[in-house]
Amino acid sequence: MLTMAEAVREAMSIAFDERPEVFLLGEDVGIYGGAFGVSGDMYHRYGSERVLDTPIAELGIVGAAVGAALSGMRPIVEIQFSDFTAQAMDQIANQAAKIHFMLGGALHVPMVLRTPQGSGTGAAAQHSQNLEPWFASVPGLKVVVPSNPADAKGLLLASIDDPNPVIFLEHKLLYKIPGRDPVPEGSERIPLGVAKVVREGKDLTIVATGIMVNKSYEVCEKLAAEGISVTLIDPRTISPLDMQPVYESVEKTGRLMVVQEGPAHAGFINEVIAQMAGSSSFGSLIAPIKRLAGMNIPIPYAPQLEKAAVPQIEDIEAAAREIVKNWR
Amino acid sequence: MSFKYPVVMPKMSMTMETGELLLFHVKVGDQVKSGDVLFEVMTDKIDMEVEAPADGVIETLVGNPGDVIEIGKPVLIMLTETEVMAFDFGGDSPAPPAPTPPPVAPAPVVAAPVVQPVAPTPPPVAPVVQAVVVQAPVAPVVVAPIIVNTSVKAVPKARVEAANRGIDLRTVHPTGPDRTITFSDVNSAQIDPAILKRQAANKALIAKGIEMTRGIAQASFNRRANATFDHAQLISAWAKVLRARPDLAAHEHVGVALIIESKYGSALPVFKDPDLVNIEELRGLVASTSDAAKNGKVPIAMLSGGTTTIFDLTTYSMSSATPLLFPNQVTSLTIGYDSQSTKNISLTIDLNFCDFYDGALLLDALIACL
Repeated sequence: MLTMAEAVREAMSIAFDERPEVFLLGEDVGIYGGAFGVSGDMYHRYGSERVLDTPIAELGIVGAAVGAALSGMRPIVEIQFSDFTAQAMDQIANQAAKIHFMLGGALHVPMVLRTPQGSGTGAAAQHSQNLEPWFASVPGLKVVVPSNPADAKGLLLASIDDPNPVIFLEHKLLYKIPGRDPVPEGSERIPLGVAKVVREGKDLTIVATGIMVNKSYEVCEKLAAEGISVTLIDPRTISPLDMQPVYESVEKTGRLMVVQEGPAHAGFINEVIAQMAGSSSFGSLIAPIKRLAGMNIPIPYAPQLEKAAVPQIEDIEAAAREIVKNWR
Repeated sequence: MSFKYPVVMPKMSMTMETGELLLFHVKVGDQVKSGDVLFEVMTDKIDMEVEAPADGVIETLVGNPGDVIEIGKPVLIMLTETEVMAFDFGGDSPAPPAPTPPPVAPAPVVAAPVVQPVAPTPPPVAPVVQAVVVQAPVAPVVVAPIIVNTSVKAVPKARVEAANRGIDLRTVHPTGPDRTITFSDVNSAQIDPAILKRQAANKALIAKGIEMTRGIAQASFNRRANATFDHAQLISAWAKVLRARPDLAAHEHVGVALIIESKYGSALPVFKDPDLVNIEELRGLVASTSDAAKNGKVPIAMLSGGTTTIFDLTTYSMSSATPLLFPNQVTSLTIGYDSQSTKNISLTIDLNFCDFYDGALLLDALIACL
């Protein structure tokens, strides 16, 4: 069973083999094999012309990638921590996302920016953020948040194919974990903008992103043993967002809970709530929509506080029980 | 000059006799605006908030939370500058105490085909006066607004279900957190069969494209009419108009309640099927019932079965008012002063069961009948 890091490496390798214009650039992606070991031996397999170690200069890295993409290449950028995308935000938000539209569609930017995100590693406030809403709120960017190795592989291949800039947000804690499902061999793509119904139930619908899909899955298993059946939906891409399975599920369960790691305030998951509230499925709700999200604080360094700052399995379980018990 | 005004336990349903005071939202000395929530009461069917009828200051809290209070009895007393509801209630210059209404006479007050025999041994304190209204010792008495909690909390699917089944959410007991009505609360709610019947008739309206999702939508219409009609003619004509619209009737009969004010309070005698009675006979019945009501007597048989209500405001020189509809009633008429030769007729309808077009037709038909 491949881990997420291995699945991402495999997807990149397949793309390298398929298309000569695909290349990888970033800090320590070459000889060192990537800060989290994702590129691994790719430097040795593909050479220094396709796996480029760059200086510590995120704006320059992404700028180079945008320029390469405009001239026919398909760059994969790795930014060591998603927090550092702040350094490169002009290239991401003002250039990559907009060029296609400002040039009347004459050019596009087929760039993938991969970056690890999230808390749980004791790396404190500047290396632990979940920045999904930064990217999801910029039209022109596609945003992918894989929750398992199999999806990561298929989604990354589709992202590399995509003519638009794609932000690919990988959770650090998932890198070393094999998925529940084996990673398919071959080069099958998973289309962007198609949510996955991870499991189906009749009592509650949970929509979760990234690592929260995994935490929620454990809760689903536990509750299933007690006769509470839960539908778990992983949007997989948060831009574009596929709400149809959510509507269909809520029409059956009547209860919706959303879970994200990032801070609650103005978080991505609020978009799911907003779209539900504005949909014709709203009338199916038999319970107020429950939101579980990170606290509105920088991620603390102290391990117990870091844990308390984002939803944990126990929190998800308690909230799921409560919504099912209180609203009938 | 400010006046003491008692805010009383309102009557919310035909069966309600007492209500439990749940809690006050105000304390003595608070300034309140008309519409501010003063207290919450719980009845056998409904929990509701009672609002301030006018701007003023809270003077006394008469009841205590947990008290079971008779309808019409004061729950708190406020001071208000609003003269329309001015009358002294006790205080420095005690008003003559309201005499206890005498028990109902063992025989019908007036012999008429529509009056059924009254029970030969009435209870010692018979409910001769239906205390929908403030039991005020001194005129002018203003019809106390029937205030219901218009901000019912319910989950979306409960609202959809209630709308589909014609359930008034105000009548559903909430079991959810924060006193919210859950889906299963609505699912297990009992519906008045009369409402169901009317709802079935109402499907025709839905087919016309009318979609009512709220439980308590009502609308009012005003028309001017020649002032030549008397109460009997009005009651008869209105019954005739309603009889032509069985889809709006929740009952087998047409029962026209006429509000009659007296020093004892307000009585609501119901004239059953008055359009089927000879007009002279009806005129006699209306006159004798009105006289009896002014003396605090209304036959028990005439105290129920209303399917519509008429308020006559002309004696107060008021031109119109928009009363909330009584439970299970779809219409009410208000007769107001307009000029020497004309009166103002207002019709209030429940938009759940008829639309604006129906309202206009009803009013047209009534004026044509008069």
